[in-house]
Amino acid sequence: MRKNESAEAPERFAYLQSLVTEFQDTDSEEAKEQVLANLANFAYDPKNMEYLRELQVPDLFLDMLTEDNENFVEFGMGGLCNLSMDPECRDIILQSDGISLVTSCLSNRREETVLSAITTLMNLATPTTRSQLSEPGILQCMLRFSLAQSPRLRNLAAVFLQDCCSEEQVRQAQQQMQGHQTAIGIPLPKE
Amino acid sequence: MAAPVNKRSDCWRTPEVHKHHEQQRVCISRPKYREGRKAKAVKVYTINLESRYLMVQGVPAIGVMTELIQLCALYGVVEEYRPLDEYPAEEFTEVYLVKFQKLTSARAAKRNMDEKSFYGGVLHVCYVPEYETVEDTRLKLQDRRSYIARAARNRAKEREHTETTQESPTSLDAATSLSKILTRHEGTFKKENTREVLNVSHHSEFPPLPLPPQEHYSFRQKSYRRIVPTEDKMGTLHNAFSHLEQEQVESLGANATTSGRDRDTEGRLGSTPVSGVQFLPRIARLENRKRKMEQSEELAASSSGKNEPLIGPKLPEPPKLDMEDESLNTTVSHIRSTMKQVGSVPDLKPVEKKAKARRRI
Repeated sequence: MRKNESAEAPERFAYLQSLVTEFQDTDSEEAKEQVLANLANFAYDPKNMEYLRELQVPDLFLDMLTEDNENFVEFGMGGLCNLSMDPECRDIILQSDGISLVTSCLSNRREETVLSAITTLMNLATPTTRSQLSEPGILQCMLRFSLAQSPRLRNLAAVFLQDCCSEEQVRQAQQQMQGHQTAIGIPLPKE
Repeated sequence: MAAPVNKRSDCWRTPEVHKHHEQQRVCISRPKYREGRKAKAVKVYTINLESRYLMVQGVPAIGVMTELIQLCALYGVVEEYRPLDEYPAEEFTEVYLVKFQKLTSARAAKRNMDEKSFYGGVLHVCYVPEYETVEDTRLKLQDRRSYIARAARNRAKEREHTETTQESPTSLDAATSLSKILTRHEGTFKKENTREVLNVSHHSEFPPLPLPPQEHYSFRQKSYRRIVPTEDKMGTLHNAFSHLEQEQVESLGANATTSGRDRDTEGRLGSTPVSGVQFLPRIARLENRKRKMEQSEELAASSSGKNEPLIGPKLPEPPKLDMEDESLNTTVSHIRSTMKQVGSVPDLKPVEKKAKARRRI
């Protein structure tokens, strides 16, 4: 076991490291996209969490959220959606001000990005972050999504509203929305 | 299996065509080192894209619904299904909606059925999370979170375990590590629970298993881990991960059950590692033969629904390998002695083998 551990775990680590290196070194936008998607998919497997943390991939993904390239944003957000399932990764994301970065993706035009953002926000819910997640801005966003045409968006928003805040908070957000009637006119993400 | 159209439920309404139903263009510009075995699109898979609802397109319109659902049922319990008549289909084909009881079943079905020919047509299978109810979505996310949390806990435990003990490969250790592996998958693979429990107890029925068979036991796992993922037709990337995990459970199961049955062959099984572990290039032709056998057995395997039969019939073959080549025999004994020195525990090897195989995706 010991032998194997020392022989093979580093291989996995080294591979992920080579991806991160290529991502940083390449000038090709296309290669960057591919590597980013690779890394985000590796984040789906719990076995990689430790290595990805060590390689500071959570921060790499967070950096992508403010990129102009929409694929970067989508893939970075997808990676965060995968990573944030893991409690330790979640804490790292929270430390890097993840909530506000992810929240800004709620207004992204791509549905997949928005879906990843909602799931990530739910994953980021802890007793200490709950108040931040249930602030009126986010709740109003979820309320709009819960009326969306897309069933996936509607369902995820409904789960968020039911699980991540109190009914009272939802009511308040609803009242505020009616106050200045913004529900109509704000573009929803396109698929 | 009923296919009632549940009018109350939102999920059986008129279908819409979504972009994620389409097959995306595969990426052809990847450099060698991150090229998978199968061409794939540049896409990120998240839990949001997965679902226990599958849509099967490209089913020939020749009245093979029963056959299709039977095929699906090989991968797990089908709760509901119905033809999606309103969904735009290619000429002479039909589209079906299939709701599995478990996400893992849907995953297995997608992986094994997508892009496979079926009565003269080629199926396109995709997840259709838009058919989920709010509750479906909630449970899916909860399951995923607890699976990841469990995996994290097990990793931490394993790390402690490795640091504190220099285990000897007694059968007791094997049994505990087996159960450890199994518990790691307990939630996601509840379906297999009965079998798993059975295997564990089965295993502990033979506490006095001598040391050499233990080595073979781990070797065999090792070699299968190496071979099976390589041979397997992978689904999407994230499927591949869990596929390997599932495979592990299944091959463990197969090993545990066969170890009783095939005990007399165990002595010769030591040659198996040669095929899988280190000397792949030298016996490439044997690998090819095996591959062919596996492929032909896949049909048989699917008839019982699991991958086990794939593993069973392969067991007698390896001994032939070491009969053929003197240098192979030398290798076997070399590996045997190395294994004795290492005196390792079988449980981490599967994990790492998976790691290796996974890396090559």
